[in-house]
Amino acid sequence: MKILIAISSKEYSGPTLDFGMNISRVLKAKTTILDVGAKINELSQKDVSLANELMGTWDIDRPGVEVLEWAYSYLIKNNFIENIFDKENFSKKSIYKESSKRAEIYLQGQVLENINLILRNGDIVNELRDEVRTYSYDLTIIGGSGKRSLAHDFIQYIESSILIVNNFNLEKKYSILLAVDDSPGTEKAVKYGVRVAQAFNIKIDIITISKDGHFGEGYSKAVERTKKMMRRCNIETKIFRKVGDPVQNIVETAGENHIIIMGASTQSPITKFFIGSKPLNVIEKSNCPVLIVK
Amino acid sequence: MLGFSARSISNILFWVTRKKWLILTFLLSLSFFYFPSPEGLSPSGHRTLIIVLVALILIVSESIPLPAIAILILIMQVLLGIDTSDGVASSFMSDAVFFIMGSLMLAVAIVSQGLDKRLALIVITLTGNKTWKIVVGFLSISAILSSFIGEHTVGAMMLPVALALIRNAGGESNKATNLSTILLFSIAYGCAIGSIGTPSGGGRNVIMIGYLAEFGMAKLSYLEWMKYAYPMLLIQIPFASLVLWFTFTPSQKIMDSSVRKLKVQVAKNGELTSNQILSIIIFILIFFGWVFLSPHIGLGIVALCGVFLYLSFGLIEWQQINRNTNWAIILLFGAAISLGIQMKQTGAALWVADHTLDYLLFLFQDYGAVRWFTSVVITGILTNLLSSAGSVAVLGPIVLDMGGDAVLTGIMTSIASSFSYLTVVASPTCMIIHSTGLISPSDYLKAGWKLFIISIVLLFLISNFYWPLIS
Repeated sequence: MKILIAISSKEYSGPTLDFGMNISRVLKAKTTILDVGAKINELSQKDVSLANELMGTWDIDRPGVEVLEWAYSYLIKNNFIENIFDKENFSKKSIYKESSKRAEIYLQGQVLENINLILRNGDIVNELRDEVRTYSYDLTIIGGSGKRSLAHDFIQYIESSILIVNNFNLEKKYSILLAVDDSPGTEKAVKYGVRVAQAFNIKIDIITISKDGHFGEGYSKAVERTKKMMRRCNIETKIFRKVGDPVQNIVETAGENHIIIMGASTQSPITKFFIGSKPLNVIEKSNCPVLIVK
Repeated sequence: MLGFSARSISNILFWVTRKKWLILTFLLSLSFFYFPSPEGLSPSGHRTLIIVLVALILIVSESIPLPAIAILILIMQVLLGIDTSDGVASSFMSDAVFFIMGSLMLAVAIVSQGLDKRLALIVITLTGNKTWKIVVGFLSISAILSSFIGEHTVGAMMLPVALALIRNAGGESNKATNLSTILLFSIAYGCAIGSIGTPSGGGRNVIMIGYLAEFGMAKLSYLEWMKYAYPMLLIQIPFASLVLWFTFTPSQKIMDSSVRKLKVQVAKNGELTSNQILSIIIFILIFFGWVFLSPHIGLGIVALCGVFLYLSFGLIEWQQINRNTNWAIILLFGAAISLGIQMKQTGAALWVADHTLDYLLFLFQDYGAVRWFTSVVITGILTNLLSSAGSVAVLGPIVLDMGGDAVLTGIMTSIASSFSYLTVVASPTCMIIHSTGLISPSDYLKAGWKLFIISIVLLFLISNFYWPLIS
C-alpha cells in the first residue's frame, strides 16, 4: 500500500498530515509527503536552478525544503514517527536526489524506510497526476480547496483513490458516513471504511439512498454485506435509508462531524467531464473530509 | 466508447484540457490562413503574421515546451513558403543570437566562481546596517552590475545575500515579511532597471541593435547606447527605492546583528583566490572588448571570446555550462529574430505599423505621440505578459517601421521592455525571487504599478528633454 500526502504550507497542512498519518499507520503504508512549489516558467528555469545552486553554498535550503522539514518534525512531535536524529543538525544541509522536475529530500541524519519527502515545482494537478502515475500510489490525501475546478481535476485525472481533508479537526469526534449502493465501487469503499474506522476508532453510519423510494435487491444485498462485514470487524454501525437526491442526502446527513466515504463514479469520463459526478458534487457541497475510493 | 477504455478517454481529456491553447492556436491559424489577405498586405506578410500570432499565444500559454515553439516557427516559415530553408537558417543565426548564447554561458561561468560572497561583503560595507541604506544599496548595486553583466547573473548572485540577511535578522526565512519582500524586490527591480544601461545588460538590447543594423538604419556602438540609456538607469534608482520603501516599509529599521553575522559568515572565505582574480580580469577584458571591439567584430563574438577564455583557463567546465545554460532561450530567440526579419522583409511589420498609426491617430492626433505610445506603453505592457526579450523581438520590427528617428525609437522600446515590474513572468529575476516562496504574484502589482507609471513619465521626460541635447 502506498499513500501520497500532498501538503502546501505550515499554516494549513497540519490536519492533512494528522489525518493522513493516522490512516497510513493503520494500513502500514509506505508514505510520501509531497510539496508542490511555485511553477517556474521555462524562460527562467535555469536561472532559478543556478540561484538554488548558489543558495546551497550559503547553507540556505532550496524553497520548499523547509515545509518538508516542518512536516517531518510535526510527525515526530505527534508521535507518528520515531525521533532518530540529532536535533542540532536538523535544519540545514539537506541532501537532494534530483531529476529535472522532482527532488527527493533527505534531511541530514534521517533515512526512514516508510517515509519519503518529495519536492516538485509546477501546476498542482499535473504534478500530482505525474507522481501518482509514475510511482503507483493507492491513495492520495490532499487538503481541502475552495476551488471547484481543482476538485474536478483531482477527481477526473488522478488515478488513485482520493481523500480530501476538508475542515478536519483532530479534537472533534467524527463518525464515518459510508455511502452504499449496488455499484462495483461500493465493495472497495466498504474496505476503506473499515480501515479508517479502525484508524480513528470510530463508528460507521451506513447510508443508502433511493431516488424514488424503491430499494432494489442490489441495494439491500449491498447493505446486508456491509453490515455483516462491520459485525465481523467489531465496528458499531447505524443504517440510514433515505429517499431523494443522493448528493443532498449525503451532505445533509454528514454535516460537519462525519468522514464521507464513497465509491468513485462509474459514469464515462466524458459525462464526468461535462456534467460532473456525485462524488464531485459531494466534495463541493460538503463541509467535512471526503474519501472517494477508486 | 469507440473501443477506447475509460482510462484512455480520461488521458485524452487530460491532454485536451492541458493543451487547449495549442488546439485553439491551431484552429485560429488555420482559419486566418484561409482568410483572404487584407488590403495592402502581401500573402507572405499575411502568413508571417499568422506565425507571429501562433508564437505569441504559445509562449504566453506555455502549452508546449519553448524549444518546440522555436522549431515550429522555423518549420512554418518554410512550409508556408515565406522563405527557403537556407534563408531561414541564415536569418536564424546572427550576432544577437551569438550574444544571447555567450551571455548565458558567461552567466554560468561568473556565478560559479563564488564571487557572490565577495559581493555580499562589498554591499554591506558600502551600506552599513540601516535598513533603508541596505535597500538603496541592493537596488543600486543590482542595477549597476546588471547593466554590464546581465540581469539573470546578478539576480542569481544577489539572492543568497538577501536570504542570508533575512535569515540572520531572526525571522523565519520561509515566512514573508515586509523586510523579506523589500529586500527581494530591491534585487528584482534593481536588475530590471539596470538591464538597459548598456547593450550587454540584456539580450533584447542586442536584438534591437541587431535589427537597426540588419534593416540598414543605424550602427549603434556600446558607448553611444550608454549615452542614451544610462541616465535613465541612474534617475530611476531613487524613485524605485522610495516606491519600495513606502509600499513595503519594514518594521526593522536597523539590521545590526544581521549584518554582523553576515560579515562573519563571509569572512570565513578569506582572500580572493587566483581563479577569482583571473575571472574578474577576464570580465574586464570582455567589457573593454564590448566598448572598443564590438563595432568591428560584434557584441556576440566578444561574449563568445569571454566564454572561450573561461573554458581555456579551466575556470569552468563544459559540463557545468552545458547543464546550466538555457538552450531553449537560444533556440527561441534565434527563431524570434528570424521571424522579426521576415516581418520586415515581407512588409508585415510596415503593414502593422501603418495600421497602428492610423487607428491610434484618432486618439492622439499626432504621429509622434502614437509612435511614443506604441514603443513605450505597449512594449511595457507586453513585457509583463511575454517577457522583455520576446517583446522586443516581436515589436522591434514594427516600431522601427513607424517612421521617426529609428535609433531613438529603438532605444525607447528597449528601455520600456525593462519595465518588468508587474508580473512573475516579466523577467528571470522576477521569477527568481518568486521561486523563494516569499513573494506572491499580488506583491508585484502593489509596488509595480506605481513604478511602472513613474518610469513611463521619466522616459517621457528624458526622451523629450535630454535626448534632443545629445543627438
